[in-house]
Amino acid sequence: MTIPSRVTDSSMSHRMLGDLQRNMARGQKLQAQISSGKVLSKPSDSPTGTVTSLQLRGELRATQQYTRNADDGVGWLGTIQDKLGAASSQIIRVRDLTVQGLNAASTDDGSRGALKAEIDNIRQSLIGEANTKYMGRPVFGGTTPGDTAFDDTGKYVGNTAETTRTVGPNARVRIEANGVDAFGANDSDTQLFKVLSDISTALDDNDHAALDDALGRLDSAHDLLKSTLSDVGARYNRITQMKQSADDHLLSVTSQLSDIEDVDLPKAIMELQIQQTSYQAALAASAKVIQPSLIDFLR
Amino acid sequence: MASTFGGLNTALTSLYAQRRGLDVTGQNIANQNTEGYTRQKVRMQSQTGSLNPGVYATTTQVGNGVTVSSVERGRNAYLEERGRTEHANSAYLSTQKTSYAQIESVLAEPSDTALQARMHDMWDAWNDVANNWQDPSTRSALIERSQTVATTLNDTHASLDNQFTANRTQAQAFVSQVNNLATSIADMNQQIVVAHSAGLEANELMDQRDVQIMQLSELTGATTQSKTNGAVNVYLGTAPLVSDFSTRTVELTGPPSLAAWTADTPVALKWNDTDMPVTTGGQMGAMLDTMNNIIPTISGQLDDVAASLAKNVNDAVMAGYDINGDEGTAFFQGTTAGEIKVLVTTPDKVAFSAGNPKNLDPELAALDHGVADSLSEMGTSSTGPDATYQTMIGQLGVASQASARRSDIQDAVTDQVDTTREAESGVNLDEEMTNMLTFQRGYEAASRVLTTIDSMLDQLINRTGLVGR
Repeated sequence: MTIPSRVTDSSMSHRMLGDLQRNMARGQKLQAQISSGKVLSKPSDSPTGTVTSLQLRGELRATQQYTRNADDGVGWLGTIQDKLGAASSQIIRVRDLTVQGLNAASTDDGSRGALKAEIDNIRQSLIGEANTKYMGRPVFGGTTPGDTAFDDTGKYVGNTAETTRTVGPNARVRIEANGVDAFGANDSDTQLFKVLSDISTALDDNDHAALDDALGRLDSAHDLLKSTLSDVGARYNRITQMKQSADDHLLSVTSQLSDIEDVDLPKAIMELQIQQTSYQAALAASAKVIQPSLIDFLR
Repeated sequence: MASTFGGLNTALTSLYAQRRGLDVTGQNIANQNTEGYTRQKVRMQSQTGSLNPGVYATTTQVGNGVTVSSVERGRNAYLEERGRTEHANSAYLSTQKTSYAQIESVLAEPSDTALQARMHDMWDAWNDVANNWQDPSTRSALIERSQTVATTLNDTHASLDNQFTANRTQAQAFVSQVNNLATSIADMNQQIVVAHSAGLEANELMDQRDVQIMQLSELTGATTQSKTNGAVNVYLGTAPLVSDFSTRTVELTGPPSLAAWTADTPVALKWNDTDMPVTTGGQMGAMLDTMNNIIPTISGQLDDVAASLAKNVNDAVMAGYDINGDEGTAFFQGTTAGEIKVLVTTPDKVAFSAGNPKNLDPELAALDHGVADSLSEMGTSSTGPDATYQTMIGQLGVASQASARRSDIQDAVTDQVDTTREAESGVNLDEEMTNMLTFQRGYEAASRVLTTIDSMLDQLINRTGLVGR
């Protein structure tokens, strides 16, 4: 007699144990996913997903950097904007005073002296403004190693190198305006502090022609400052927009990362439920494997 | 004409044979849960009478009863060999899978705390320096974070080194196990051959030998060849480990630690006598592969990351200037993951500026954020250390996933073969019960034959020839 396929207790229990083990392993994996909230906990879970995840994390950090850089840039440009705005109104005051001086050319020395004194004061205060610092750095000084952009005499001691902040992929925005841009070059006739001291001297000397000439140059200096101010304003806008877009990008990268790494909870719970059902079925079937054998029927 | 009492003897042989059958059934039932036990089967053979016709007598003989010709092991040699191969493959792949899983847990990617995140922290710190270099605290933070990166690289390398050493130690223990198993198999070969030549059954000993050969196969991927005298020769690759009663020994050679490992001096298993390399599969094959391929590859890639990090940062800072206008000095020392460390210890020595503040030309004298700014973008550069690291993690993931999948498939195959083997050689209680019934009934029937003959003889001896008494 041949027995086509023999089944023994040990082959049955072997098979049953193997199946139960695999079933439990599936359950364990699903449990781990649900309890950790991650489908991606080690590179072998999904090699491509892992690399994407690492890259997205890099992008996330870079975008966070862009936001912080933009914040920093906004601080710089905001300070410059405020200071240039203030300087502009002071120049207007100087202009008024100079025009008064022109009209008062025939008047007494005393009132001219008062005009000169005020202009000198404004000049000193403007030099002070031009040496404004943000986070310990003179904002109009370029990349000067020193602490000031202008010395006491109104001479520019900074340089014209640019400082930028990276606010997006390949997007760099210049965050300073140097003294030359804002107030004119040292050797130029229209350098603001030179013009102011010329006005002061002309008032002192009661030199009507020189005062008139200086008034014209003051307007040129003011134009330069205003054009720089509008340039700074444009850059301020740009950096704010870039920050906004970095913030938006941050959201999208975060959600992409979550798509790759995080568990789809309803799906995972559903799968776990199915696995548990099948595990219970397997257990029930396994219990039946230890069936009564022929022994129970022999007397 | 047959002898008067011949029938008695025939019944007796049946009684013996049925009892032997019951004994074997008892042995099977007793060992139904014994690992490696093979069910045995009584092979009965009818005994023929004399077939040579005598000169004066011809018989009408019906045979002289039954004899137990052998007690067979119900084992399929082909399935056994297949089982050994599959078990060896399973052991190889599951060991490899474990190795990869260990490396993955050492690297612990993707996470917010592993090396990649540390490097991001470091590049962020460079960015902070770029934004705010005049504040020494940003530079202190940079040094701290760079040290964390260096330490993480050191620790990862140390973990790989530990894994290597642990593998080496375990492999050493396995080598003595292999040699012991070989000796034990050779001993059993001898006992079995002696028993066979004396006509004795050595089934239980053969079961034990099979269990040990299976252990050896799982350890080394050994294959076997059965001989007709009952001995089994065991081979590693094509070279014999056990031939009949003699064995050869193997030994483990090569460097004791990852630091001493080179491609030219790998960890290897060698024959003690010929000094030739041993071809191994199974657990030891996977461990050798782990020590000679997997760990050195990962460690080499980690070294590449460290070297790229040191080179990129050093190149940048050495072209720059620190806050005091001194030329930048090397930031990192060492070009391997095990040795890399941060050289700069004071914030003043962090060279972040591309411009030289001490330039004699006052127009060119500058202190800017050039170096720090360019380094802050290194993290997303396609040629920087991060890219190297990501490639490495990707490759590790692919290799580990492939290994895990192959292992899972192999386990299913092995389970299948094991199930078939168990079906072939395991004890089936129903079958044993049926056999028990058969033998019991056979015994009863033989007794009945005896009783019947006895009563026939009684008739003949005590009641025949009494007519007229």
